[in-house]
Amino acid sequence: MRATGTLMAPRGRRPVLLLLRRRLGSWLLGLGGLALAALTWQLLSLALASSIFPTFSAAVADAWSIVTGPVLTADLVPSVLRTAVGFSLSGVAGIIIGLAVGYYRLLRELTSALFDFFRSLPTPLLVPVFIVLFGLGGTMVVAVIVTAAIWPVLINTANGTAGLDPTMLDTARVCGLRGPSLLGRVILPAVSPQIFAGLRVAISVSLAVMVVAEILGGSSGIGYFINNAQQAFQITDSYAGILLLCVLGWLFDSLFLLVERRLLAWQRGTVGGEGDA
Amino acid sequence: MPDLPENAMRSEVAVESENAVRSEDGLPPREDSVLSVRRLAMTLTSRDGVSTEVTADVSLELGRREFVSIVGPSGSGKTTLLRAAAGLRRPTRGEVRFEGQPLADVVPGISVVFQEYNKSLFPWMSIGSNVAMGARRLPKEQRATRVEAALAEVGLTGFASRYPFELSGGMQQRAALARAMVSDPKVLMMDEPFASVDALTRGHLEDVVARLWEHSTCAALLVTHDVGEAVYLSDRVLVLSARPSRVLAEIAVGLPRPRTQRETRQTPRFAELSAEVLDYVEQAGRASGLGSPGAAPAAPG
Repeated sequence: MRATGTLMAPRGRRPVLLLLRRRLGSWLLGLGGLALAALTWQLLSLALASSIFPTFSAAVADAWSIVTGPVLTADLVPSVLRTAVGFSLSGVAGIIIGLAVGYYRLLRELTSALFDFFRSLPTPLLVPVFIVLFGLGGTMVVAVIVTAAIWPVLINTANGTAGLDPTMLDTARVCGLRGPSLLGRVILPAVSPQIFAGLRVAISVSLAVMVVAEILGGSSGIGYFINNAQQAFQITDSYAGILLLCVLGWLFDSLFLLVERRLLAWQRGTVGGEGDA
Repeated sequence: MPDLPENAMRSEVAVESENAVRSEDGLPPREDSVLSVRRLAMTLTSRDGVSTEVTADVSLELGRREFVSIVGPSGSGKTTLLRAAAGLRRPTRGEVRFEGQPLADVVPGISVVFQEYNKSLFPWMSIGSNVAMGARRLPKEQRATRVEAALAEVGLTGFASRYPFELSGGMQQRAALARAMVSDPKVLMMDEPFASVDALTRGHLEDVVARLWEHSTCAALLVTHDVGEAVYLSDRVLVLSARPSRVLAEIAVGLPRPRTQRETRQTPRFAELSAEVLDYVEQAGRASGLGSPGAAPAAPG
């Protein structure tokens, strides 16, 4: 093993290997942090030996039985579907409205006060209204998710579009790009970094709002399950539900980052391919 | 290239002399004109509603195979003028004619290379796709070969699949040049195309442009603040006054072609011409209030 000069090596596979090792290292460290927190939980709950504080191992075992039992299709799957649908609707609507608002200055000025007003509305406040409108159940939850998760996407897309470089647009015009081809080949790719930043925020907002809506007015779902378990003093079930939510959030985010990294490779300068420049 | 009607020939007036005499209402039309800017005035309005008259009265005729440069002090509306001449901005007064037709929008016969290559090349497209953007109006079956030829012309063979961030600034600007030339335009417009590269690359890029222009059939209109560059590349150099700008002077260069960095720039004639252009530029700069209080124009500030 040569240790010297590897960082400065201009060519060859060594820097790639180094990067891989560093990435693996930080991943392992992150895992270590998680393990440490779990261990602390375990020891603390053993020491306290309280009925309202189950051990980590008990919570994990319970979570496993949820995932493998009937609760999976009754609560977990509906929650995942609602979040996915709500997030997708927010994304599509947020991008379309954001592009329009960002591109046309008149529209931007017309809507800015209106959007600021709705954006600052606390979403749980809408649950009672939406229960009246949509009843208890999935539609209501999706509606609440959309009213909350659309904003980060919309605002980011609008800001990105409004801030497009005039030179870039002029270049596109000189090349004869207009209408749908201008949108698809220049505007959307140019704004995509901001769009993705907004979408990523929208994911965590969607999850949070889904749980709140299900707790306040659901007839099924993971939020409903956690709330029920807590009211029935099945504390281990509550903790297991919370654990499952964490895993869900992490899964959504990882999946998203995977897609983003692929689509925005040109931006990070990490295009995979024939090798080093 | 049957994509545009031939220029409506004017036989009444033909101006053959290098230093065309300016009449009060712009220039007399020239027979071989491909682009003519007549009494153009541009007033820009900023976001907070303040409007500035950037260009007061500029006229120019660009011959079919001519290379014309526009120099002037900063803020003299060179970039604005170029964008209007390309059909990207509507003139406040006056008009632009391309091949005898009034220009209201961008047209296939005019290509533009902008100053900031990092903003004009699309970073999410490979170099090949970027160049192909300039070839969108060509028949589909021609595109691939034309893109390849254009890349070869600027010395970027083999870089088609690379992305802009993988290339140096000079290479990116050469790619932008390839994109401009791939459609075989009638007029190549350049807005300070070498402003953001180092001096060595700059000289090299100037020669790339000179060669591209010599090998093509197009006219070139170059906006620059570099006097030597203007003289080195051009047949004629137009000096703009400070804002609101007019044409302060027009200098015919007449240095023999092909020109080379090493020899042309060493000739006494080159030095003379550069000094002459520089004198006018400095005169314009002084009038803008940056130098001594001389014959300041009516504009305040």
